[in-house]
Amino acid sequence: MAQVDEFESIFRSALVDIYEYNLLEINSVLLITDKTAEEINPYLQDVQRFLGVLGTSVTWDVLNADDFTTTQDLLESVEQANPDIICSYRNLKSEDWIYQNSLGSYLDVLIQKAGAPVLILPHPNANYAHDHAMEDTDKVMAITDHLSNDHRLINYAVRFTQVEGSVFLTHMEDKAIFDRYMDVISKVPAINTDDAAEGIKEQLLKEPQNYIESCKTVLQENNLPVTIEDIVTFGNRIVEYKKLILDHKVDLLIMNAKDQDQLAMHGMAYPLAIELRQIPLLML
Amino acid sequence: MEHVEHTLTTVTPLITAIFGFILVLMIASLAAEEKLHAKKSVIVGVFAMISLLLGSILGIIPFGDIIVAGGHHIEMPVYIPGIDWKVISIIVGSSVFVDVTSKSGLFSWIAIMLTKASKGDPLKLLWSYGIMTVVFSAVLNNVTAMIIVGSLTVVSLGKLEKTGMLLAFLLIEGLLTNIGGLLTLISSVPNIIIGGTAGISFVSFFLKAAPYVAVATCATIFMGAKIFKIKPLKTEEEKAEAAHLIQGFNENDGIESKGFFWFSVVVLIAFILTIATTSILPVVKDLGMGFVALAFATLMLIRYKAEADKFYKAIDWDLIGFFMALFIVINVMEHAHVLDAIGKGVQFMIGEGESSFGTGILLISSAFFSSVTDNIPLAAMLSKILASLGTATDSSLWWSVVFGANLGGNLTPIGSASTLVAVTIMHKHKVPMSFSGFVVRAAPFALMQIALATVYLLVF
Repeated sequence: MAQVDEFESIFRSALVDIYEYNLLEINSVLLITDKTAEEINPYLQDVQRFLGVLGTSVTWDVLNADDFTTTQDLLESVEQANPDIICSYRNLKSEDWIYQNSLGSYLDVLIQKAGAPVLILPHPNANYAHDHAMEDTDKVMAITDHLSNDHRLINYAVRFTQVEGSVFLTHMEDKAIFDRYMDVISKVPAINTDDAAEGIKEQLLKEPQNYIESCKTVLQENNLPVTIEDIVTFGNRIVEYKKLILDHKVDLLIMNAKDQDQLAMHGMAYPLAIELRQIPLLML
Repeated sequence: MEHVEHTLTTVTPLITAIFGFILVLMIASLAAEEKLHAKKSVIVGVFAMISLLLGSILGIIPFGDIIVAGGHHIEMPVYIPGIDWKVISIIVGSSVFVDVTSKSGLFSWIAIMLTKASKGDPLKLLWSYGIMTVVFSAVLNNVTAMIIVGSLTVVSLGKLEKTGMLLAFLLIEGLLTNIGGLLTLISSVPNIIIGGTAGISFVSFFLKAAPYVAVATCATIFMGAKIFKIKPLKTEEEKAEAAHLIQGFNENDGIESKGFFWFSVVVLIAFILTIATTSILPVVKDLGMGFVALAFATLMLIRYKAEADKFYKAIDWDLIGFFMALFIVINVMEHAHVLDAIGKGVQFMIGEGESSFGTGILLISSAFFSSVTDNIPLAAMLSKILASLGTATDSSLWWSVVFGANLGGNLTPIGSASTLVAVTIMHKHKVPMSFSGFVVRAAPFALMQIALATVYLLVF
């Protein structure tokens, strides 16, 4: 029944995910630092300026170095504050930020255990942040390896983009994985390698492209003053995202970090959080 | 076209009995096709070879040149003239035409538009898909219709998270393919064979069949909705959710070229109109419906001229081989006087002339036989027998065979290729459906349809 499969494929391909817009309410932000109470104000002002898109009615709470000693203390304080967004940076209460090889134990656990998304800011003592980082959010990039039906990711990207700003919806297929599968397919006599490569590549890119089109339509219908730009391609994710951030001067990168099926971070989230230190990252 | 007769052996009752046994054996083998794990073309091909060999040994086959129009003699293998090339050309032409037309995205476009129009309401979806199945079966063929509508059913019910209704939808659609197959002269192979032998025109066929098809379709869907408890959505929230999910279908997704899409629409309409008027169109009426089908297939192939061979691969060569072998077997059976003997039996059963009893009993017995074996040999044999009995074109007996051969397929999953496709799709998606399970579920529908057809033929 090859024809049954053929027509099921036609209809499955015709069924696209439609973006559902939902205005996210962000009323409270919790800033966690390892600074002292005396040092905190200038830094808090920097962060508040950077997140001006959230408006002036947002409640800001701060946890300083003295407010927690262990990870458990931190998690309890976060739970008590119950913020909509948590802001922090890598390697809290540690000098390991100079090595650029880890997130630090506090942030690592916080991203996984806290109910709210975590905004990772460039370390205040390091000088690796891009010039445009922490200034504003007129260029926000949502990144994923499966941009389809991910309404939450897009809604956060839209919420954090300031008026007249640009939202880059980016879907990056891993070329190394694709090449590996094509190599296997090339050894299966029953499958035409060229047809398979062309068909799979086309379909892999088509689904996110269709979803982005629906995002554009829905956002236009809701009169949201942001521009949607799409980047759907193959490549090495770390290399390509670094390049895209530089090329487009991206102010904020948003990605999914939690994975219900595992204790570790979702897919590429951890390596990207390690590598992309130059701009703020919002980990959902 | 006729044979230059050579000296032939007198056909004795023993010879007739031997060939009769071969015919029964062939029909039984076709009924056990699934168990034998053999394709129809191979099964009937074996019997065609046996019949030809035995017929030659016993000297009952008239070898020699063929005399064609104009009195020319042509040397041709004895098994070639027995094949009904008119039927073969219609099937080959229609298959290629439909296959190329479907590449335009036209049928999937229609299917998706109807899905969206239903807004995801299960009852509206059942009516939409039911009517679409009937129309597609009438215009395309039963198997293609079942494949298109069945595939869409799987995807849309999956999206609506209503896969629990898969069995009901697929069963009803499978049953409706054989109703749709009744609508026109070219909707199913038995129609082509019987209509061609009886000399029924396309328009006459349609006018006679359409009222029954309309009533039987509505009755089947209505009954299906009641039996399987398919109800409309009640709350506004449910309706909004279903409508949103179904809006995700993009009807233009399968359309590669807008130009070819509209070209296909125009050509499909022209094809239907030409087929419908073949019997009255000057020149075309002499060339016949087979020519029309092949000509339109060729016209569509121009779009894919460099890769036309791909479409030739899509032709159901098992079906074509099956027909050719079947016609050879029937031709030999004619020479062995087996058809005469069956004809006498049929005449005994239906009585002299045309009677209500004869019409009814022929329809019911045709339905029974086509439920357990292929309806094509039945149609081919009965059409020859009715023709040899001098049955008039407007006789209800032809219609008894048409209705019986088509509707009998709904009694069992092996009764028709399209119901078999429906069961195959069920199995593919882990919906349990045994042979007896199908019979139990389908019997109320099939019996209703057969009863309705009997009353229809007797009253009208």
